[in-house]
Amino acid sequence: MKLSANRLERRLQVSGILLILGLLVEATCLLWTRPIAFVVFLCVGGLLLVLGVLLYLFSLVSGNQQER
Amino acid sequence: MELSSTPLLLLIAVSAVLIGVIVFRPGVTATAGGKMLAFFVLFLLPLVCLGIGTTYHIDNSKRTEFCLSCHEMEPFGKSLLVDDPAHLAAAHYQNHRIPAGEACYTCHTTYAMFGGFRAKMQGLKHVYVHYLGTPPAPEAIRLYDPYNNRECLHCHLGARSFEEGAVHNADPDLLPAVKANKVSCVSSGCHEVVHDVASLKNAKFWKGAL
Repeated sequence: MKLSANRLERRLQVSGILLILGLLVEATCLLWTRPIAFVVFLCVGGLLLVLGVLLYLFSLVSGNQQER
Repeated sequence: MELSSTPLLLLIAVSAVLIGVIVFRPGVTATAGGKMLAFFVLFLLPLVCLGIGTTYHIDNSKRTEFCLSCHEMEPFGKSLLVDDPAHLAAAHYQNHRIPAGEACYTCHTTYAMFGGFRAKMQGLKHVYVHYLGTPPAPEAIRLYDPYNNRECLHCHLGARSFEEGAVHNADPDLLPAVKANKVSCVSSGCHEVVHDVASLKNAKFWKGAL
């Protein structure tokens, strides 16, 4: 996989990668029935998902600024 | 109610595949349909997965098996199977006076505002001590605060066996004192055997639940 030369598309790709990693952590934690799974789910999976969503939102805002 | 993880795992798989489309073909976001797809899979779906996942984990953390999955709690789990009606926790568990699948949570959550939240915070502290601290021996584990009658009264208040019980009414001052938490149900000599983990070696166990 190659990152796009376009800045907006590159940010969307990185956002997607973060989200996929977060979802993988979330799926792993669902199959892991130990108390630590809840902590990993929230601290690692949750953080990756939130970062991915925030980067997506940031890419929208920065993309609009470029178009002006 | 126990949530199944299968639908959420399917949702996660579908989300990951759709996100993969954006990652491998970012050019699709140039079109109006692509923008809508990006909003759906990079914003809505991850938040839905996070919300459902959190609900699943919180629900799962109420289960008896979850609490007993740490070895420090194993003797407390065994104490639920003691074949002696004088053992309070065992009698409640074996006779389904509490939901057997959520036995620990039912009795050890304070029935007050933020009781569930407080239980989760204490649970996080237990996880910290389990992995990074020095867990005490099971016999040395004590409650943070003396057991409040409020937790017993959540179910027993108004129940005929409680309100009209002969022992409870032998002294007219007893029931009001119990209801006001001035006389403890478990430490005043009435129902004092709860989880007697120190004497489990000599105990006889009920095999009906196995």
